[in-house]
Amino acid sequence: MEGNESSLVGIWKDWRLHAIVLGIVIVTELIGTFKIPVGPGVILLLPMLYALVIGLGLYFTPVVKEKQSKNAEPIIVLGVALLLAKIGVIIGPSLPEVIAAGPALLLQELGNLGTILIALPVAIWLGMKREAVGMTHSIGREPNVGLIMDKFGISSPEGRGVMAMYIFGTVFGAVFLGLISGLLATLTPLSPLSFAMASGVGSGSMMAAASGSLIAAFPELESQIVAFSGASNLLSLSTGLWVSIFIGLPLTEKIYARMTRNREGY
Amino acid sequence: MLKNIQEWILLLGIFGITALIGNWAGYNILPLAAVPGMIMLIVICLAGFILRELIPVNFPSIAYISIIGVIVSMPWFPGSGKVVEWTTEVQLLALATPILAYAGIAIGRSWTDFVKLGWKTIVVATLVMLGTFLGSAVIAEIILRFQGII
Repeated sequence: MEGNESSLVGIWKDWRLHAIVLGIVIVTELIGTFKIPVGPGVILLLPMLYALVIGLGLYFTPVVKEKQSKNAEPIIVLGVALLLAKIGVIIGPSLPEVIAAGPALLLQELGNLGTILIALPVAIWLGMKREAVGMTHSIGREPNVGLIMDKFGISSPEGRGVMAMYIFGTVFGAVFLGLISGLLATLTPLSPLSFAMASGVGSGSMMAAASGSLIAAFPELESQIVAFSGASNLLSLSTGLWVSIFIGLPLTEKIYARMTRNREGY
Repeated sequence: MLKNIQEWILLLGIFGITALIGNWAGYNILPLAAVPGMIMLIVICLAGFILRELIPVNFPSIAYISIIGVIVSMPWFPGSGKVVEWTTEVQLLALATPILAYAGIAIGRSWTDFVKLGWKTIVVATLVMLGTFLGSAVIAEIILRFQGII
């Protein structure tokens, strides 16, 4: 979970950590972006993706100790704060455009219905039981974990499912979205602006990776991509829990009940 | 509160310096040219954190920060021209790189849990992310086309 303010005390003194991050940033920014063509589409490898992988790799070397890893966590929140301030000042001048796109921004929040329609049947088909409900009712960030824990308890199958999704998203979410967003936007007929809205899933690092890869693929649309993904992320943060409570979870339960009943019927 | 403000300033400052050096290495923007923009962004963050402490409503600081960022850059806001001009020198991607570097170091501790996930879990979790992403994009596409925006 993301750190609280009291845990910030003294972290600025962890020079080892800051020096490691500075080193990673310099190396990865100097390497720059690589584009791998995949048919008509492109996979974009951005410095931020190398940074994540190098950071993770260094955790397993003596360079990074447990202390650095613990201290790094609350700094992510501060970094995301700076990122959101930057997104705010990009949205400001183009606010009329964002408001004009308001209906699309609001309704795409229901996009996690896509999850339930695609992932839940596969989960059941693979033989998952109640874990599937926790896993597929949403993208499984902090508010969703809270909701499932509150409803089913921490050691329930649903709780294990949502925690598995949370861990997967934490470790792999940014890399995964960063790789597929540029690829899908260049490969499918859908507009990069639609993918920009989809990038705001409610996690700062996932949004940064997904929208960053869109910007690298469509630099001429940069300010619109940032404005739409930033606004969508803000909406996800404020409405995501409610979509889960009133639509995501009940719908998952309903489809789960129907699919498992059918199976028993045959 | 004062103690907190001091910690925030120090950490945002360290993060900002790292980002400015990345901004230079990756996007050829001299740190000196981007310093005013970075200070502006740090001030917006501080204002958001302080509002979060002062206002007794459970509203996340990142929401305050986004809203303050939007307001100070709107054309009618006094000095918004300068805000936009300065912050343009700080590349969004240059802010994202150090975030993910810190994130990489932090998620090392989740790695043991990650490798314990079975292949079925990995398949389903991948589909959950793909489903959300594509689902949102398809809905957005339909409505943006219907409105004639794209």
